Formats: sequence, C-alpha cells, structure tokens
Amino acid sequence: MNQQELTLEQVLSQRRESNRGIVNVVESMTKLVIFELQGDWFAFHGDKIREILSQVNVFFVPGCPPSLEGVINVRGDIESVISLHELLQLPASADMASASYLLGRGAGMSSGIRVDEVVDVVDVPLSNIHKPPTTLPEHLRTIVSGILRFKEKTVTVLDLDRIFADYSQGLG
Amino acid sequence: MALDIKKFISRFVEEAREHVKRLGEGLDTLSRDSSDRENINAIFRSAHTIKGSSRMLKLTAITETAHKLEDVLGAMRDGSLNYRPELGNLLYRSVDAIALLVESLATSGDPATLQPVDVVLCASLAQAATGEVAVAEAPLSCIDPAKDGVPAVVKSASSPSVIPSSLAVPPPPPSQAKLNAADTVRVRLAKLDELIKLMGEVVSSHATLRQRLLDFRMIERDGSPEHWVQHRARLHHFGLTLRDDVQSQELLMDELHDKALIMRMLPLSMVFDSAGRVVRDLAHSVGKEVACVVSGAEIELDRQMIDKLSDPIVHLLRNAIDHGLETPVERVAAGKSSQGRVTLSARQDGGWVVIEVADDGGGVPIEAVREKALRKGFISVEQASGMSDQEVVDLIFQPGFSTSTIITDISGRGVGMDVVRQSIVDDLQGEVTVETRLGTGTTFALRLPLSLAVMRVLLVEVNGLPFGVIAQYVAELIRVSHEEMLTVVERKAVIIRNEFVPVVALADLLHVPERLVKTTRSQAGISDRGMLLVVVRVRNEKLALAVDDLLDELDMVIKPLPEHMRRLTVVSGMVITGKNELVSVLHAPALLELARKVRSQASRTEAANHAGEQEFVYKILVVDDSLNTREIEKDVLEAWGYHVTLAEDGIDGLQQARTGTFDAILTDVEMPNMDGFTLTSMLRQEEKYRDTPIVIITSREKEEDKRRGIQVGADAYIVKGEFDQNSLVDTLRSLLG
Repeated sequence: MNQQELTLEQVLSQRRESNRGIVNVVESMTKLVIFELQGDWFAFHGDKIREILSQVNVFFVPGCPPSLEGVINVRGDIESVISLHELLQLPASADMASASYLLGRGAGMSSGIRVDEVVDVVDVPLSNIHKPPTTLPEHLRTIVSGILRFKEKTVTVLDLDRIFADYSQGLG
Repeated sequence: MALDIKKFISRFVEEAREHVKRLGEGLDTLSRDSSDRENINAIFRSAHTIKGSSRMLKLTAITETAHKLEDVLGAMRDGSLNYRPELGNLLYRSVDAIALLVESLATSGDPATLQPVDVVLCASLAQAATGEVAVAEAPLSCIDPAKDGVPAVVKSASSPSVIPSSLAVPPPPPSQAKLNAADTVRVRLAKLDELIKLMGEVVSSHATLRQRLLDFRMIERDGSPEHWVQHRARLHHFGLTLRDDVQSQELLMDELHDKALIMRMLPLSMVFDSAGRVVRDLAHSVGKEVACVVSGAEIELDRQMIDKLSDPIVHLLRNAIDHGLETPVERVAAGKSSQGRVTLSARQDGGWVVIEVADDGGGVPIEAVREKALRKGFISVEQASGMSDQEVVDLIFQPGFSTSTIITDISGRGVGMDVVRQSIVDDLQGEVTVETRLGTGTTFALRLPLSLAVMRVLLVEVNGLPFGVIAQYVAELIRVSHEEMLTVVERKAVIIRNEFVPVVALADLLHVPERLVKTTRSQAGISDRGMLLVVVRVRNEKLALAVDDLLDELDMVIKPLPEHMRRLTVVSGMVITGKNELVSVLHAPALLELARKVRSQASRTEAANHAGEQEFVYKILVVDDSLNTREIEKDVLEAWGYHVTLAEDGIDGLQQARTGTFDAILTDVEMPNMDGFTLTSMLRQEEKYRDTPIVIITSREKEEDKRRGIQVGADAYIVKGEFDQNSLVDTLRSLLG
C-alpha cells in the first residue's frame, strides 16, 4: 500500500518533470459568443462580435439575395442582416419576434447576423476547442473552425471572417 | 528642433493655386486686350507673390520660373515689351510649368522631390524679357530628363505652329491631366458665426422644452378628479404651447440644416478652373489647336460631388480633344476654322445641375461604332440593324469599347467612357447623355443632383411597405381607371399625352412580399378610383409604377447602404422616416433597366408563341418621336413576328425608308423636323413606296385629321386612344395581305 502510494507520487512527479515546459505556460483563453439556431448551438469568436442587439426592426430591401433579410438601424448607421440558415442548410426559423442580432465585423465588412437566441458569452481555454472532424459535411467544411463541448452540448465554432468574405464575393 | 515645413508647404500650395488661377485668367484677358494696364499689373503681382513665397520655402524651381516670368511681365508693364501671340504662348507655358510644379509639390508634400527648373523655358523667358523676337518652342512643361531618359527637345522654330514640334515632344505623364479637388473647405467667418449663433438658439430652445416637461409634471401632480374641467383647460393650454415650441424648434432645425449643408457646397470652379490648362496640354500633345470656353463655374455643388466630378470631366475633355475634334487639316478641309472649340459649361435645371462638355468636331461616327460593336461581339447582326442611332451612340459606354483605331496616350485604351458612366450614375446618382450630329460636333451632358446628402423624396406605399423615389426622377403622378389601361404584349401601358408609357406594378417589379396585415384603406383605393401611377422619367424614357398609396414628400437625408450591399443597383440609399422606419430609396434608372429586362423576356416568350404563324418576315418601319411609343410598337410587332426598324422623326424616317426596303410604314403625326403627314406624302412620291401600306397612329381623332391622313395617301388611321395591339396587328395583316 505504502509502496504503491510512493510509486504513484513518483509517477506524478515524473510526469511533471516531463511536462515542465508546458505547465509553466498560462493557458490562453478565448471569448466565444454561443448562440442557438434551430436547436443547434453555434459560436463566433468574441472579438468578431461588436454588439448583441435584441428587439430591432428589420426592414425589407428589394433585390436582396434570400440570405440577406434586410437592414437595421443601429444608432443612425445602416447595417445589413444576414441569416445563416441557408448557409448552414437549416430550415428557416418561423419565429422572428424573439430573434437576437449579433453585430459582426470581419473581412472588411460589417453586418448583423440573425440568430434564434444568444445562449451565453463565455471564456474558454483554446485547448477545449477541437479541430473539426473530417466527416464534416461539404457545405460546412470551410466555415467551421472548431468544435467544443459546452453544457453537455456540441457547439460548432464558425469562422466569421470566412463567412463574410464568401458573402461579399457572392454578392459581387 | 526642425521646423515643420509640411505645414507651410500646404499653405503655400493653396495660395499658389489661387495665384496660378489668377495668372491664367489674366493671360486670357491679356490675349484679348493687351492694353489693359491694370490687368498686367495684377498678373505681375501674382507672379511676384509666387516668387516671394516660394523663395522662403527654398522651392528653387518655382522661384526661378516665377522670377523670369516676373521679368517679362515687368518689361511689359513699363512698356519696353509689347504683347504678341507668341509671347502669350510662352507666358501660358510658364504659368503651366509653375502650376505643374505646385501640383507635384501638393502630391508629394516634400520640396526635395520637386523637379529641377526647366532651363530652356527660363532661357526663353529671359530672352523674351530683353525684347528679342526669338521665342523658343520649348517642350510643353518640365519633363524630367533623367526620368524619361531623353533630353528635353528644343526646337527654335520661328513659326508658332505647334504641329511638327509637338510630335517630337514626349507625351505628358498621365498624372498631369488632373483637375484639382480641395482637401479643405474655406468657410467665410460670417457663415460660421451664423451657424454658431443658430446652435446657441437650439440650446436655448432645448431649455424651453425642458421647462415644458416641468410644466407637464406640475399639471400631472395637480390633476385631482374634482377640478377636472380646470385641469382639462390647463392641459389644452399646455398642448398649444408645446405645439408652438415644436414648430419654432422645427424652423430652427431646418435653418441649421441648411446652413450646415451650405458649408459643404463648393463652386464648380474648383473643377472647372484648371480645365483650360488641361485642354491646352492635351491639345498640344496631339497637335490640335483648341480653344476652351468655360461657363457656369460659379454654380455650387456638394463637395462630395465636386471631388468625384474631376475624373469624369477630365476624361470627357480628353475624349473631346482626342476623338471629337478633327486635326486642323481636316477641319480646314471641312470648311471650319482650324482651331477647334471645346466648351465646358454648367447650368442649373430645376433640382439638377447640368454639366456639358461639347466639341465642334466631326461627331460620333455612328456607322463605325455600329461596325465595331459588331466586330467586338457586343451586339448581334440582327440587333445592329434594328438599333436606332441613339442606341448605337450609347454603345460607347460599354466597357471595353473604344472607336479610335490607333491607341493614343490620351484616350483610346478602351477604358474610360464606361467608368465615366459608372461614376456619374452609380456614385453621383446622375445621368449621362450624348448628343451628336455628324460634322458639327458632340455634346456630353452630365445631369447631377445638387447634393447627395439631402434630396427630395417621394414616399409611396406598396403592399403595406413604404418606398422612396427621388423626386427629380418623378415626372408626374396620375390616377387612371382600369378602362384606360391598354394591354400590349401581355403587359400594361397607358397613353399620357400622345405617348405610350409602360405600366408595371412596383410590387411585382421588386418582388415585394405580400402584406401580412391588409389595410382596407388603400385596397379600396385601387378598386374605386383606378390605379395610382408614379411616372418616372430618365432621359426621354418613361415608366409608370403602380403603387398603392402616396405617403409623403419630404427633403430627407439619404444614408448609404453598407459597402457590401452597394451592388444592389435598384436601391440608392435609405431614409429614416419620422416613425423611425428605414425606407429604401429606389434608383429610377435601375428600375427602368429592370423593367426593360422583364419586358424583353416577356416579348421573347410571346414571339415564341406566334412564331410559325408567319412564313415570311415582313419588314416594318416605325416612325415616332417618343421613345416609349416606338419601343412598345416594336415589342408588339416583334411579338407577332415582324422585323422592326425604328426612326425618331419624319426626316429620320424618310432617310431610313430611302436607304432600306420596308413592307409597311407606321408613323406618328406630331414630330419634330417633319410631321407624319408630310412624311407620308413624301414617301408617296418615291417610286418604291407608291403602293406600300402606310399606317398613321396618332392621338388626333378629329375627322379632318383623318381626312387629311387619307388625302396625303395613308392606308389606315389608328387613333392611339382606341389603340389595342390586335387592331394594329389586324390592320397590318389586312394591308399586307
């Protein structure tokens, strides 16, 4: 018994020895804005989201592609509203009233993004975000930057820069 | 501590620009009247000032040139030297050289990068000051010999003719032909004081409103049920005072708004003043003699527009000199003076400013343009034969189109005209039109709103949603009954004063979603009083938009769409209404474009339906001065398988008829240059049209007109009021057998 405990300690100290270089580094954290779309959870990196707005009126603009729902008035500046449903191949949300809007900026453009609900804004260690599995469907492969477990659910981390870049090219 | 010379440089540049401008104006006056002493004094002073201030900043090249210029002017002032045209040319050149140095300094901001002084020019000036005749034909301006790798060409040609020598002169660097745009605005102190005074008023008016809030609280507190009569009277009184306050506040805000906007206005002279120099430089480099006439430079425009106008105008000037004007030899052969003339003018037209760049050159060679468009594959053979001259001329705005067979440095690279159109139409919300007459010249007209910041906007409602239309584009608002609506090739049209105007429902055109909540008010409006139409006009083309209701007409601040949405050409911006709604402001030219697209699809399907009904394709000539009417008649006839050629007035029609062969001719009566009756009788005198069916389509329904029509030889007379496509097609069928 005694002998065994000693061995365990030895093992642990050995491991510490071998991991010394890593342990000394403070784990870097990242802020994520986690939101829900059709029951699934997604997230953007916090530094890409300037603001979270709720209860805003979206106004129709003629000639927009379907993914562009219209425009909103953010203190006198006009911002577009993008819906991610089409991109993520999700059915369109019926209930617009309870929607929230994330004001994102990336790839040289700025736009509102409509989400069903904002779940949380959290700081997570970078190491908790895993590489997306290779089995990811085709349409998600380029826009998903990682996968994370949060509150027993899988959160798909999306690359806002990539989405906006694709978006502005798609319009052009 | 080193002296921050940058600050002084920018101040110098601003001052020098002004003096260069004065020098240019003074030389213009001098060339007309060399005896004006006061004028010579003024030019002398400007040259002297430039010399002095440039010396302080050690801008040697400028100092030297200005110094020599001053010497010449000094000699003229004390009468030891008299003005001669050759001397005038030399003076212009030296002013241009100074201007160039100043501009290069403005871009670099660093005196060290300034080109060395043009020795040849200075030598000629020095020589001229001594009163010697020889005026060297120096190169156009300071061309840095080191950069170009060739020494500046010197020709001591005694003749003032520029043609041979200019060929040897390397073309000026492209950056040279740039008009100046201001980085700063100078505001008169009085204007600024007014603004500050108004601001003070707004602050005190706000204090009044705060007091009203206190008053209201008081009334609220005292409101006991026993004194309700008294209470109501107080409330009423309060309402009245508040109304007055809001009204005076409104006046104040309007005034503040106007005053603030005026500060953004700059005179067109910002762009126009350097035009003379640009024209001279360009003309010189292609060996043409050009006089430049500028007018309307005092008209003020929003500075944002002034900034963006410079490139299009330079391009149009280049185009006029390079493509528009003929060479002196060609001009003389054509019986014109050897000196060409380029006119840059501006005038106000309602809420618009019209800027025209006109030349008295040979006009756009329409056949050459048509052939080139065919060769480049912009249009098909079929399209080419059916296009009117105006449509052909418009082809020069196609990206990649350039008619010059030789690519020159000035223009002809095939970029430009499309960029001109794009910047005028998309960035400035304006229009570009071309008018050209073979042999007499070409005029490009830019039609621009006075300001982009605030515009008069008409708000209309469609499916419960508001939309804005910029009022300048709205030709009229009318209400028509359903009976007055015509159906032409499965789409609707109305006749407004002898002209067919296509009608589209705005809701369909824009795919506005069905309203969620139906309000009975406007629904009832449609059925009871007919359709409400907003007729928009772009150039001479009209389109009637059916809307549910008119909401308001206001001066509104137009906010730009986010960058990535600018490609939505239909929407030119957003306005915010009093209810804090965002409303899309529709861009009328884009709406017309859209309607045309929808229309051509419709007529294609229609044509497919009728295809095969006719084995032989008849050729029809349609003569009408209204573009809309022509287009509609063309659509109808093409839908029934006829081949249609268009002509825009009697003379055009007669020419078309003489050059081509037609199986039938449709003509309007009232047209400029030659009316339909005359056309008909003229055609009857032609051998090949003696028996060709001629149909008169007009809104004149008087018996005597009909009689006259038959007298001059028309086979049928259709009144537009009773027009429907079947009667036209049936008539034609019966006439053609």
